[in-house]
Parts: sequence; C-alpha cells; structure tokens
Amino acid sequence: MIGFFILSPFAMALFAAWFASRFPRRIGMLAAWPALLAVVLSNEWRQVASVGRRAIELPWAPSLGLSLSFNLDGLGLFALLITGIGALIVLYASRYLDGHAQAGRFYASLFAFMGAMLGVVLSDNILTLFVFWELTGFTSFLLIGFEHERPAARAAAIQALIVTGAGGLALLAAGVLLVDATATASLSAMTAQKAAIVASPFYPAIASLILVAAFTKSAQVPFHFWLPNAMEAPTPVSAYLHSATMVKAGVYLIARMTPVVGSTVLWTTAVTVAGAATMVVGAYRAVQETDLKRVLAYSTVSALGVMTMLLGVGTPQAIGAALVYLIAHAAYKGALFLIAGAIDHVAGTRDISVLAGLRQRMPFIALAGGAAALSMAGVPLTLGFVGKDAAYEALLQIGNGFPWLLVLLVLASVFLGMTGLLTGVLPFLGNAASVRHGREPGWPLWIPPLVLATSGVVVGVAPSILNGLVSMAATAIAGASVDVSLSLWHGFSPVLFLSVLTLAAVTVAFGLHAVIRTRSWKPRLGTEAIYDGSISALNAVSRTIAPALHSASLRTYVMVIVTTAAAIGGGALVMERGLALVMPRTSVAVHEVLVVFVIIAAAIAATVARTTMSAVLALGAVGYGVAMIFLSYGAPDLAMTQFSVETLTVVIYVLVFRHFRGLGALSSRSVRARDALIAIGTGTFIGGLLLLVAMTETAPRLREYFAEFGPTLGHGRNIVNVILVDFRGFDTLGEITVLATAAIGVRGLLRFGVTSRHDPQSDRVATSPIFRTAARLLMPLLLLFSVFLLFRGHNQPGGGFVGGLTAAAAFALYAIAFGVRRARRALLVPPLTLLGVGLLIALVSGLPAVVRGKPFLTALWSSGPMTLGTPALFDTGVFLVVAGVVLMMVFSLAEEA
Amino acid sequence: MEVLLALASGILYAAGVYLMLRRRLAQLIIGLGLLSNGTNLLIFTAGGLTRANPPVVPEGAVVLVQPYADPVPQALVLTAIVIGFGLLAFSLVLAHRVHATVGTDDVDEIGREP
Amino acid sequence: MLPILVPLGTAAVLMLAPKRPAPQRWISLAGSFLLLASALLVFVRVNDAGVQVLQIGGWPAPFGITIVADLLAAMLVVAVGIVGLAVAGVSFAGVDPRREAFGYHPLIQILMMGVAGAFLTGDLFNLYVWFEVMLVASFVLMALHRTRAQVEAAYKYVTINLIASSIFLTALGLLYGATGTLNMADLARVWPTISSPGVDTVLAVLFLIAFSIKAGLFPLFFWLPASYHTPPAAVGAAFAGLLTKVGVYALIRVFTLLFHGAPPALFMLLLGMSTATMVIGLVAALNERDFRRVLSFNLIGHIGYTTASLSLMTPAALAGAIFYVLHHIVVITNLFLVSGVLLRLRRTTDISGLGGIYRDQPVFAMLAMVPIFSLAGVPPLSGFLGKLAILEGAFAARAYWVGGLVLVVGLLTLLSMGRTWADSFWGPAAEPAYFAAPGMPLLAAIALLSVLTLAMTIGAQPLFELTSRTAEQLLHREDYVRAVLGATR
Repeated sequence: MIGFFILSPFAMALFAAWFASRFPRRIGMLAAWPALLAVVLSNEWRQVASVGRRAIELPWAPSLGLSLSFNLDGLGLFALLITGIGALIVLYASRYLDGHAQAGRFYASLFAFMGAMLGVVLSDNILTLFVFWELTGFTSFLLIGFEHERPAARAAAIQALIVTGAGGLALLAAGVLLVDATATASLSAMTAQKAAIVASPFYPAIASLILVAAFTKSAQVPFHFWLPNAMEAPTPVSAYLHSATMVKAGVYLIARMTPVVGSTVLWTTAVTVAGAATMVVGAYRAVQETDLKRVLAYSTVSALGVMTMLLGVGTPQAIGAALVYLIAHAAYKGALFLIAGAIDHVAGTRDISVLAGLRQRMPFIALAGGAAALSMAGVPLTLGFVGKDAAYEALLQIGNGFPWLLVLLVLASVFLGMTGLLTGVLPFLGNAASVRHGREPGWPLWIPPLVLATSGVVVGVAPSILNGLVSMAATAIAGASVDVSLSLWHGFSPVLFLSVLTLAAVTVAFGLHAVIRTRSWKPRLGTEAIYDGSISALNAVSRTIAPALHSASLRTYVMVIVTTAAAIGGGALVMERGLALVMPRTSVAVHEVLVVFVIIAAAIAATVARTTMSAVLALGAVGYGVAMIFLSYGAPDLAMTQFSVETLTVVIYVLVFRHFRGLGALSSRSVRARDALIAIGTGTFIGGLLLLVAMTETAPRLREYFAEFGPTLGHGRNIVNVILVDFRGFDTLGEITVLATAAIGVRGLLRFGVTSRHDPQSDRVATSPIFRTAARLLMPLLLLFSVFLLFRGHNQPGGGFVGGLTAAAAFALYAIAFGVRRARRALLVPPLTLLGVGLLIALVSGLPAVVRGKPFLTALWSSGPMTLGTPALFDTGVFLVVAGVVLMMVFSLAEEA
Repeated sequence: MEVLLALASGILYAAGVYLMLRRRLAQLIIGLGLLSNGTNLLIFTAGGLTRANPPVVPEGAVVLVQPYADPVPQALVLTAIVIGFGLLAFSLVLAHRVHATVGTDDVDEIGREP
Repeated sequence: MLPILVPLGTAAVLMLAPKRPAPQRWISLAGSFLLLASALLVFVRVNDAGVQVLQIGGWPAPFGITIVADLLAAMLVVAVGIVGLAVAGVSFAGVDPRREAFGYHPLIQILMMGVAGAFLTGDLFNLYVWFEVMLVASFVLMALHRTRAQVEAAYKYVTINLIASSIFLTALGLLYGATGTLNMADLARVWPTISSPGVDTVLAVLFLIAFSIKAGLFPLFFWLPASYHTPPAAVGAAFAGLLTKVGVYALIRVFTLLFHGAPPALFMLLLGMSTATMVIGLVAALNERDFRRVLSFNLIGHIGYTTASLSLMTPAALAGAIFYVLHHIVVITNLFLVSGVLLRLRRTTDISGLGGIYRDQPVFAMLAMVPIFSLAGVPPLSGFLGKLAILEGAFAARAYWVGGLVLVVGLLTLLSMGRTWADSFWGPAAEPAYFAAPGMPLLAAIALLSVLTLAMTIGAQPLFELTSRTAEQLLHREDYVRAVLGATR
C-alpha cells in the first residue's frame, strides 16, 4: 500500500499533463497530492520510529538485481522534505507559469522528478537507486531546458545532464561492484557486510566511484560549475531541484553509504576535504555575483559543502549538525529562491545592484525575505542559528591541532550570512524609484516562501521538536544509536562567542557588500574550463575522424578491408605453422599447364589493359580458361555453365562499357606500387592457404552419400544436378531469388532515372536477310534444344540453368535480327512475368510434400514408365527464372541509349 | 597440379584486388570479375582435384565409375557462378548509372562530400 | 519453415499483381502479418519444446540442408516479423511512386525472406545464399535512387558488401576442402579435427572478418555511415534494424558453435575490434550535422557493445549481448522511422534545418523521446537494462575495463542523444520553416515500437530469463547438434 504511494508521483505526472490542458486555471490544486503524501509518509514514520525501520518489496527484475524495495528508516526525513516542499512548489508554479502553453509538460516532468527523488531516498536496492538517480538527472534536464528556445537554457541542460550523468554511471559501476562483492543488492543487507567490503580489493574503486557520484550531484568542487548554470531553469525548478532536493541527493548518498563503505581514512579524508573546499569556494563566489539566482546558487554550493564536510568528519555531533543544517537550509534557501522568482515577476530584473525598495509592493514577501535572511545569517531564535551552532560545536570537539575546519566554516558562514542579507533584505530596502513596477504578486507567489521562512523561525524557537527525527536519521547514518538534543541555549561557551563574532562580521560585510563584490579577486579559470575543454577536444576529434569514416574514397576502404583480412589471416597462418612447405599431390598434364598459363597471362593482361575492350577480353579469356580447367577435372555441367555465363558476362560488359573511356592510369607510380604490394600479399596468402587445404584429403562422407543415393532415391544419374535440385534444392531456391532480384535491379536502374524512353524502333537491327532467315530458323531450334537440355539434365549434363540460358539466347538472337520490340512480342509475356511464374513454380514444387506430411521440397515421384517427379517441376521453375532474368537484362540494356 | 591451380587462383585474387584499388570505375568492376573467377577456382580446387570421370552414372550402370570427381564442390561452384553473375551484372549497371549521374569515372571523385 | 516461405510467396504474388500502389501495399501488409504470425508460432514451439529442426527435402543431416530454430533464431525471426510489419505499415504513408513501380514491395519481402532464412538455416553455405538474397535486395532498394548522393552511397555499399561476400565464399570453399561438410552441427563436431595446423584458425579469422564487415565493426564498417543516411526512411529502418544484426547473429553462431576451441587471441581480436568500434562510433557521432548520420554512427557503436559482450563467452555476458541485440533492433528501427517523420516535417534531416518540433508536435516529440533516450541508456528504459545486463556480465567475467568502457561510451551516447534532442527538437525552427503533418502510419509505427520498448522495461524479468536461457542453450551446443544430427526425417 505504501509502495503505491511512493510510486504515485509517476502516475500523477501523466495525470497532471492531462489536467493542465483541461483545467489550466486550477493547476494549483495538484499541490494537494504531494501534501497528502507528506502526511501519509510522516504517519508512516511515527510508526516506524518505534520499530526502527520498515521494508517494502516489489519485484522488478531480480535476475538483473533490480527490485523496487524501499526502506523506511531514519533517513526518510528527506522524503518529508521532498513531498512537503514539493506541494509548496506546485502551488507557486501554478501562478508563476500562469498561461504557459507547455505547462502540462512542466508539471509532468516535475511530478516525475518528485517520484524519482522519492525513489532515491527511499530505495533499499542500490541498482534501483541508480535508476531513480538517473531519472532525477533526466527530469532535471527536461526542466532546465524548459525554455528550450533559448540556447543558454539548452546548453545548461546538457551540461547538467552530462556532469550528473557521468556521476550516475560511476554510481552504477560502484553498484555492480558492490553486488558482486556482497552477493546482495540490498543496502540494508550490505551494512552487515561492511567489514568485508572495506577489506575487499575493490574498496578504493567502490568508494571513489560513489563519491564521484555524490560530488557531481551535489555540486562539490571540482564538479560545482553546473549548478550556477542550471539557474537557466524557471525559478520553481531552481527552488525545488537545485536547492531543496536534487542537489541534496549527493549528500543523501554519502549519508546512506556511510554505514556501508564509510568511516575509513579514504572516505573521511576525501569527503571532508571536498566539502571544505566547496564550502569556501562557493561562499566566496557567491558574493561576487549580481544575479539573485546565481548568488543563491553559489551559496547553495557552499551550504552543500558544509553538509558534506560535516558528514566527512563523521562524529555523532557532526552528523547531527549536518542534518539540522540541512533542514534549515531547505527552509530558508527554498524561500529565498521563491522570493527571487517573485521579485523577477514583479520588477522584471534579478540584478541586486539595481533592486531596491520593493517592500512597499510586496510586503509579505519582504517579511519572508527577512525571516529567511535571518535564518541564513544565523541569528538566534532561527533554525539556521541552531544548525550553525551545532556545526561549530561539532568542529570544536574534533580536537586535533589547529581547528582549520572551524576557521573555514566561520569564514564561509560570514559570507553566507552576507548573501542571505543580500538576497532577502537588500532588495526591499531603500527607495523604489529606480525599479520598474510590476503587478502585485498573487497569493500563490507569497504564501509558499512565507511558510518556508517562518517555519525556520518557528522551529528555531523550539528546536527540540526535531529531536526525534534527527536522532533517527543520525542513527541510520552512524550505524549506532545517536541521540540528538537541540536547544537554543548552551550557556556561555566558545560556540557562543563564535556565533556573536560571525554575526558581527556579517553585518560589517553586508555594509561593505558593494565594495567586496567589485574589488575582490575573480579567478578567470575554473573547473568549468576543464569541462568545456574536454567537450571541445571531443568535438575536434570527432570532426576530424568522422569525415574520414564515410567520405573518403572507396579505394581507401577497400584497401583497409583487404589489408586487414590478408594481414590478420596471413599472420595467423604463419604464427600457427611457420612457413612449412607442402608437396604437390596430383600429376601435371601439359595441356592443363597451358591453360593455367593462359589464365595467368590473361589476368595480368587485364590489370595492365589500357582500353576497356581489351580488359573485357582478358576477363573473358580468364573465364574460358577456368571453364577448361573444369572440363579437365570431370565437371562438364560446370564447364557448360561457366562457358555460357562467361559469354553472357562479356556481352553485358561490352554493352555497358561502350560508355566508358579508356583505362589509363590515374594514380601515381608509388601508389600503384603500394597497391601492387597489397595485391600480391593477398594473393600469396590466399594461394598458400588454398594449397594447404587442397593437399588434405577431403572427407568423403558427403560425396559418397550423394553418389549412392543420387541414382536410387534421387532418380537421377547426373549427381550434380540431383544435388542442385533435390539434395540442396533449397540453395537453388535462394539462388534464383538472387537472380530475380538482381534482374529487377538492373531493369530498375536502367529505367529509373531516365525521363525519356529510348525509342526502340531505332535500335540496331541486322539488315542482312540471310541473317534474318537464319535467325527465324534457329530460334525455334534453340528453344527446343533448351527444353531438351532441361529434361535431360537430371541424368546427363544439362539442367535448368543451361536450358534457361539457351532459351534466352534464342530470344536474344531474335532480338538482334528483328529488334527488341518484336522480340518482346515474340516472347508473349514480359520477362518479369517469367520471373514471377518461375519463382512460384519452384516454390510450389516443394509444397506437395508438405501436403503429404513431409518436409518442404521433399521429392515426390510418380511410378510408371517414366518417372516424373517434383524436382523436374523445380528445375522448370529454375529454367523460367534464368530465361526471364537474362532476357530482362539483355532487353533493358539493349533498349537503353 | 594443385600448386599450379593455387598459383592461378592466387594470381587471380591478386589481380582482382589490384584492379579494385585502381582509380577507374571500369577497372573496379573488372577486378570484381577476376575476383569472382578466382573464388570459383578456389572452391573447386579446395574440394579436391580428381582428374577423373564426371559424377554422372553411365547408361545401364547403377553406380558411379570410380574414381569420380566430387560433385559437391561442383554444385557449390555452380551456385556461386550463378549468384556471382547476377551480382556482377547488377554492379556493372550500377557503375554505369553512377558514371552517368556523377559524370566521371574517377573513383576518388565519387562520394566525395564537400 | 513458414517464415521463409511466406515472404517469398508474398514477393512472387506482388510481382504478378497489378502495379498500382493500393493493392501492392495491402498485399505487402497482409504478407507481413502472416510473417509475424508464423514467426510467433515458431517461437512458441521452440520455447516449449526446445530446438526445432526441419530437414529440407527429407534428406537427413548432414547431407541435406537443415532448418534449425533454437531460441536465438526464433526470437530474431520474431523481430524480423515486427520490423517487416512496421515497414509495410509505414508504406501507407506514401512511397516514392517510381520506387513503388519498380518493385519496392516485393523487394522488401525478399529482404525479409533473406534475413529470416539466414537466421533459420543450419547450413553454412545456405547461410551464404541467404546473405546474398538479403544483400541483393538491399542493393536494389538502395540503388533505386533519386539523388546523386543516393547512387554514390549505393555504390560504396554494394562494393564493400561484395568484398565481404567474396571473403565469406572463399572461407566456405576452403572449409569444405578441409572438413568435407557444410552443416553447422556437423561442423561443430568435425571442426576440432581439422588436420592441417593453423588452417582452422585462419578460417575462423576469415569468417570473423566477413561477418564483421556485415555487422559493422571497426575497421571494416565504412560502408555504413557512408550509405545508411541516404535511402528513404522505411528502407533505412529495415536496414538498420535487421541487416547488421544478421552479421552479429552469424558471429554469435559461429563463435558459440564452432570456434569455442580457438586460441584466445581470436576472442581478443573480436574484443579489440568491438571496443574500438564502440569508442570510434560514438566519438564520430558527436559532431555529425545530419540526424541520420548521427544514428548511423550510434548504430555502429552499439553493435560494438553486443560483440564485445559476445567475445567474453560467459553465460551472463552472452545473455546481456542477446538482450541488447533485441533492444537495439527495436530502438534503432524506431529511430530511423523518427527520422522519416522529421523528413516529412522539415523536408530535411540536416540538424540546422530541424527544430521547433517539441513545440509544434508534442505527441510526436513525446513518442520520439522513448527511443532517443532509451538508446542513451536512461533508466528504466530498455537501453539501460541492456547496458546493465552487459555490465553485470562483463564484471562477472572480470573484464572490468570492458565494463568501464561500456559506461564511458554510454556517457558519450547520452551526450550525443542529448545534444541531438536539444538541437533537433528543442531548438527554434529554422527560417523559413516548412510545416507538415507527420502522417498517421508513421506515428502508429513509432508508437508501436515505443510501446514495445516500454514493454521491455516492464517485462524485464521474463525477457532476461529468456535471454539467459538462450545463452545457456547456445553454450550447450550438444543440444543443438543432437537435435540436428539425431533427427532422421
């Protein structure tokens, strides 16, 4: 049940988007839900207080280690902050964003953020914690970039996304390592294994990664630069995410992980140093800004530093102090941000050097500002005072040597107090003359800040209200029971003296604020420069390599691929066996040597050919030579096919190459030499490999099977054909599909970009009547022959391929004699139809088997005088496809200009 | 004999690769053709050479006459030849269109982006 | 069996059917439905009963060709069905009429056929045939061009892929010579007995290279960014979603089935290539000015994730790789369809011409957010889950630097996608802006795929269990071998 409540903001997000579009004037009502949540959760806590903690479990993906398990323990006070302040923010935003077109999306993101933030602070599973962590980063991205038409907003959004995203990934890595080390993903279970974790070799990595995550999220030095830039977001976002909740997530993480990986030298040192540095840097930079929000941003950075430092110190008092400070900060900083937003709304500017006299226009807000400023400055009777007091006390009691930390804290507090006055008091003092007057802010704009600020005062008067809450939280962090008792008066002590000193210094500094702002040293380079520099470097690298990866010449790519293949392959070969030689096996016949010689010569001729025609002829010679080799080694079918295909290829080459110029060399000598080297290397590698393989006896299993069953079960004596149409008919099916597709491609390419069709009347026609008569006679003969080849193929060399090629040749001959148009008519159907029909027939020939319950393409034979079977049908399909393909290509090419 | 055929095949590969690295479009396609032939020869040779009878059972007989050539590589090569032909024809026509569209047959100019 | 025949039948019918757009699209859509349905049937059967085997032609393995459906193949075929359906549906939004006249629809179906065939075959040479089917269909789809850029891209694409095919074929020929068989299960038994030393390693290298070209790994991937940004969006979506995955599938298959005894250097090689791919792909993506180019580079980079995980060869890493493949198919197809919408809205995919979309088209922008940020790994979307799976696998295998690299590249992806989102969707529209409607079919397809991505989040546990079982099945090759060789139909 409570789990439902915890996850409800996500549902609210969707609801809010719809609600905002339907009831734009009533959006403020949505604030009711987080308020309700706050009540429900605090109720839970009252119950938990007696037990210690309560766990809730909703499985998600346990195999990956993910489960939605929530832990309600002391640290859940964060949840109260999230929901309570969230309610106020929603209320405020309803007026602030009044009438904005994309308000629905704003609230959706805001509620999604709320849900994610709740998930972070309540999650017991470290991987799920990461999920919520990144979600807060992502929703923050959406919210910072809300005014997305402004480049500054987009840039800030991306910067925040990347910096916190990097931290998030560090958290993920740490999480997986922890899961590995402890065999559980549950944080509460991990606390029991703390000793083992600390002793593990991964501990430094885990701790560092977690700290990186925390520091990036909470804007600690050196990752602090994104927070001031995030002020591009609308003010409600700045108040909610970037001061009260999300940035506290890092602090929360440190707190949560202390009982798991904390309290070692590495941890304490890193955390304390980072916190202290941030505290000082943030405070110092705060007083140099003029934009209200940026002042507040830097002061937030500094305050986070204080909290971090105190957690780093790690004594029970320090922890308690950190918690109180946190609560106080949430109240006054949230208020100040909201006030800044209201000021912006009314006066149209956020420049503190210009703002003055606003108290007349906005009395309630001025009141809130005053209260908040007092709390921030640490004036007695405010919660801020209690917090600062506790911090001073805690640091005083560390007691090793000179209290550096305390000095730094005092210094920072002075500046922080000053900024409080700058933002909460200064704009309201003085005369209003120089400021533009805006409209009176409505109550949703001043109630929230007033509530927040006065809560700081009210609780400050009676701080013992918080005792229980803070004690619970501190216990959870420290791992041992901690009792915190807060009170206003500790007697005359060094702490009191320090507080008075601080206040005095604040007053002085405030008086001198203008001087301090203008005369203080402003460093020119910060860590942001490192970030910017890295991004620029990445961009530069990207710009350099990307074009090389797609726009260079094709030759470069071919070269890389071929070289890689040859080098790695050759290298592997040499490494494995050295350069041992092998002895030849079969004998050598003279005529074969001649043929090989012809092949080699032709190949070389092709490389050095100067005209396209000679190159094509050389290629043809190579093909014919290979065909001869096939013939010599007992492959008549193969030889026939090779001869015909090679002839056809040459024809097509010629038809295409009539448009190309000569083949003179374009590259330089050295380039050609390099290419030759690569080529020779590749050839050697392949040749050597081939030799190795050819020397070994190939296992005879397959061929013996085919030899045995071909004539019997396959009903064919030409084993090769039987393999093609029966044993491995599936291959052939794919192969004719390839052919068909290629033909479609050829036809499409030739016709596609052409606007005017070439007039077929004027294509070349042989005029000699003898030729024509011969063609008229030859054509039917060839057709008959082709069919004969088809049916003979199963038992003797022949078959669908050769048959189809011959049939196509018949029509091609006719086309040469009488023109393409008449040849097309003679064909009766377009070649495309031949293709389709052929494919269908081949496909269908395999189906009768399925009807009979056997696998596809199983051959079925009829008994009787002539054994007819489905393979014949299949081969017919092949025949048609081949004929159609060749004719499609030839016709298209001939018709083309 | 294997040595010679391996040599031939290797040279075909080498010639093919060399041509594919040249700057003229036409040479690239011719190179593809040479490569294709080299591969077919390679498959045939690797499968084992037998200067023997073709794998066709003679009339009246029931089994192949020993020694017979291995029909499997033959079938493979046949498939490869046909597929290769289809692809080669296609690339030829594609080269033709590229040439017509881009106006040059210098490979380096094709696809060069500003 | 059906998943291969259905698209072929559809294609044949389409070739004979009237050439007008309407009947073509409807037939194509119907065919795609059938394809998806048959794929699901196969998957259910495999899930229940284990590896399914069909000996084509009734000839026993290893003499005939076997169709094998294990979990991996079955899942991938379902993915084919989904992508096919999306592409067929999207065609209703309008296809270039000339393309349609010249066989766009049958070509898409043939493409699906080739991919399905490649996933389901149990014979290595048959794999080559299906590769070629798939390839030639993609060649033609890419080559039917309107612009000069398209034909130039087609030419680079074709040439490099032909080289890949040559390498594959070379390796195949040598393989038969060395082992005497082409059936994958048989090869699994016979591979360790290759007599000539070193030959098995070299053959493995050749196969690795051939498949890596197809998958898009460094340093062999140039064809992808050079060409994937040019064809029409639906075609690009089909290519991106399926074609590279065939390469990855082939790598998974040969590595788990055949190369398991290879020297570790082989796995190191794959790992090295993959990690280089990851980094280079993402770094290059950062500065691209064209939306589709950004996608192409991201596509490559993330393929690197899967093959790197594969190279670790542990059950957890393999499960992560498979999970990521599934996520990637859905997301990248979706993203290319998104680019199609962008093209419609703004007539360009150059980022300088985009913008103002978040403002003008809220529904579309919200939908597009899902794949964009899922790719970037924002939890709880599928990209995060995939990365988590891979990360856990890598750490469990003690490959910490691989895991670290996964995270770093993830950050780069976040940067790339964040920037792209900010510039293309958030930024102001360029002047003069061209406004149009996204088109219902496109939106519907994108919505469907986005819902699928979200479903992966909710159903993470069952999906991960499925991929784990798949990985186990892959690593226990005896089951596969026994199913294929033991069957005597």
